Amino acid sequence: MDLLARIGIRILESMFAVGAVGSFVVLILSGIEDIETLLGSDEPTHTDG
Amino acid sequence: MVSPSQPGGALSNRVRIVVATSVMLTFISYWRAAAIVLNDLGSSAFYAGGIAEQAVGKSAPWFIVSVMLFSFAVRAVYVESCSMFVRGGVYRVVKEALGGTLAKMSVSALMFDYILTGPISGVSAGQYIAGLINETMATADAHGWVPRAVHMMFKGGTPQVNVNGTAVAFALAVTLYFWWQNTKGIQESSEKALRVMQITTVMVVLLLAWSALTLVKSGYQPVPLPTPGNLKFSQEALGFLKHTYHDQDLAKMFGLFGILIAFGHSVLAMSGEESLAQVNRELAHPKLKNLKRAAIIIAIYSFVFTGLTALLFVMIIPDSVRIPVYKDNLIAGLAMYMWGPQVLRLLFRAFVVVVGFLILSGAVNTAIIGSNGVLNRVSEDGVLPDWFRQPHPRFGTTYRIINLVVFFQLFTILASRGNVYVLGEAYAFGVIWSFTFNSLAMLVLRYKYKGERGWKVPPNFRIAGREIPVGLASVFLVLFSTAIVNLFTKSLATKAGVGFAAAFFLVFSISERTNRRKHALAEQQMQEHFQLLQSDTVERKELGIRPGNVMVTVRDYNTLSHMKWALERLDTAEQDIVVMSARISQFGTAAYDLSTEQIFSDYEQRLFTRAVSVAENFGKHISLLVVPARDVWSAIVQTAVNLESSAVVSGLSSKMTAQEQAFELGRAWEATPEPKRQFVLQIVHPDLKVDTFHIGPHTPSLKTEDVHLVHRLWLNITREQGLDNLHHHDILTEALTRFAREYAGHDREDILRELRKTAGKTDTTRHPVGEVLPESRTLPPGEKPASKKGDEGPPSPPVVSP
Repeated sequence: MDLLARIGIRILESMFAVGAVGSFVVLILSGIEDIETLLGSDEPTHTDG
Repeated sequence: MVSPSQPGGALSNRVRIVVATSVMLTFISYWRAAAIVLNDLGSSAFYAGGIAEQAVGKSAPWFIVSVMLFSFAVRAVYVESCSMFVRGGVYRVVKEALGGTLAKMSVSALMFDYILTGPISGVSAGQYIAGLINETMATADAHGWVPRAVHMMFKGGTPQVNVNGTAVAFALAVTLYFWWQNTKGIQESSEKALRVMQITTVMVVLLLAWSALTLVKSGYQPVPLPTPGNLKFSQEALGFLKHTYHDQDLAKMFGLFGILIAFGHSVLAMSGEESLAQVNRELAHPKLKNLKRAAIIIAIYSFVFTGLTALLFVMIIPDSVRIPVYKDNLIAGLAMYMWGPQVLRLLFRAFVVVVGFLILSGAVNTAIIGSNGVLNRVSEDGVLPDWFRQPHPRFGTTYRIINLVVFFQLFTILASRGNVYVLGEAYAFGVIWSFTFNSLAMLVLRYKYKGERGWKVPPNFRIAGREIPVGLASVFLVLFSTAIVNLFTKSLATKAGVGFAAAFFLVFSISERTNRRKHALAEQQMQEHFQLLQSDTVERKELGIRPGNVMVTVRDYNTLSHMKWALERLDTAEQDIVVMSARISQFGTAAYDLSTEQIFSDYEQRLFTRAVSVAENFGKHISLLVVPARDVWSAIVQTAVNLESSAVVSGLSSKMTAQEQAFELGRAWEATPEPKRQFVLQIVHPDLKVDTFHIGPHTPSLKTEDVHLVHRLWLNITREQGLDNLHHHDILTEALTRFAREYAGHDREDILRELRKTAGKTDTTRHPVGEVLPESRTLPPGEKPASKKGDEGPPSPPVVSP
């Protein structure tokens, strides 16, 4: 039982660690993109003719 | 609101309409959307720091900061889900991905989240108010300002109120107040949310500036780094694990697992992020861009407010009082330990309490609105008994759902006895599981969902032609591991959350089974809130639209490209759009009342649900109309005339050419009795090529010399480089544009003088709505109108109002 608990804990730790690194990448990439969106101006409304 | 129609009269004058008013949303800017979400998300700054420190010790602020950074990634998941489904929130997303059972489970978790948002916000606000009362009394007593009689009431001591009792009383009062407001159906305005956030911003700026000054003048206490060695878990913070391990130094033993536990105790700092899905529906055009803007504002603001203030609590408030005295009103505590005179500090504390009252009370209301919305949404799918959806006899609100939600909230407030920590621990259960379900669903939808998707959480890699959503999977892994750990470390939350969610899940499941049998035919009827209004004649005032509107005819919900074409080009602030569907009824039925189901059948509901969704994607208003008629052409013309539409936009018929469609409409126009007005018919082909026809009196007859002048100009200009493709109408457009500019500028009087000279020399007819139309010319009856496409150039916008 103790062994199972330890294995479970290690799995959770690994998931958390891997996820945290990946989430940091998400933060950087989406953050840069969104700040560009925030500072960028709206494209002029498309009109034909 | 159904009123019987009057029988008799000409059929064409006796059309009936059905108007769906739920689409009349007030579309809001991204600033207002951000303000609404921040009213919920920002409110956690008032209690998250205290709860986290009680659970994990003095290094808690680092975990709050990391949660706020992680909320940037969670926000990205919500942006992706909102870019896929405008309406529906977590329930819709999870149902699409994982099916009804898990969707019901996720909604149960979300309901637990919403139901606890109210009590924790109300109780927290009460704690701030009670704290201020006690502090003011203590200060007054120290100066000898408290009368002896008042002292006697408190057995000779300093007059103090019972903090938890006051907090409970306040929370009950606020909840009951908002229960009544919601029962009456008074909508929370984005204007109010914006004002609250403006005041909050003033407080945050003052807080940060004054804190910086305090750090310089008085120094600071270091915040222990978030290492396992620095974690000091309380017994409650270990939940079920405290029975397994009696060692207090568990953090060191656990290592990274201890970090994970501490992170789990801080997740409630990002509660409120799910409100982003709610406001998405009301965001103005361009929706995705505005959603991303709102999301980044929310993330930055909440990071600064919740994250930085959590650090300042530990840096500025002494250890001796931080948790013992200020654990439930840390921002107030921060105000009291600023550098400066006591009066100013007390005044600032009062300001903090006012802001806390505003933002936390707003969160109580948001909780009621949110849970009402979620339960309404799921009840549309038949997973809640119809009994709950019965409108209030006077106010028309879903008061039974509101009553249910408020009952749970009042019960929770009383059961908590004003203990913010207990509420916070339980609250985190709903927060983490609703996030986890949403991210899991989004992960599954990366492979399952084939529809439109405006944006994806980065980074994504392709291996052997298959997309690997690394970013999305990472967010899910963090949320899932945290949610699992919380199950073990938050015993009260697990018991209460699982019990509550299981009860809700059971109710949902039983209701769904019952309703499935009961409403087999009405399944689609639940797709959208439509308020039906049956009227004898179609009139503008019924729809609340202006003259010169554009009417878009719809019939097939799979071919709405012409509607998208119109939405893309029209500015609905200038010109209203009416989406109209003609319901062909059998001969003779117009003499009798058609039932709502007959006019507004499942098909119309599906069609208009799709139309609403398209319009919401553009962030633009549309008015919806169903016209029962025997002849579709008469119905279109009659409606356009009655609504004083300037243009009718239709898709290309699968059976007729554009010219034939225009011919049929022109013939119907001739048959329509006076008074009537002309309009432009624009038929949009599937490839978005547009044929434009003038129905009724239209193009002014130009004098020969004017035609020659235009032609001479055209000949001269087309000789210029790059202008060989110029059309005659381009010259007129340029001339008219310049004319309009000069008329709006300094030359107005000159122009009017010139026009007065020529007035009377030209035959003019004044149109009923006030436009001056030179020489009317009606589409010759029996003659097919020629397409203008050869001379029209690129499709012009359907804006033809004067």
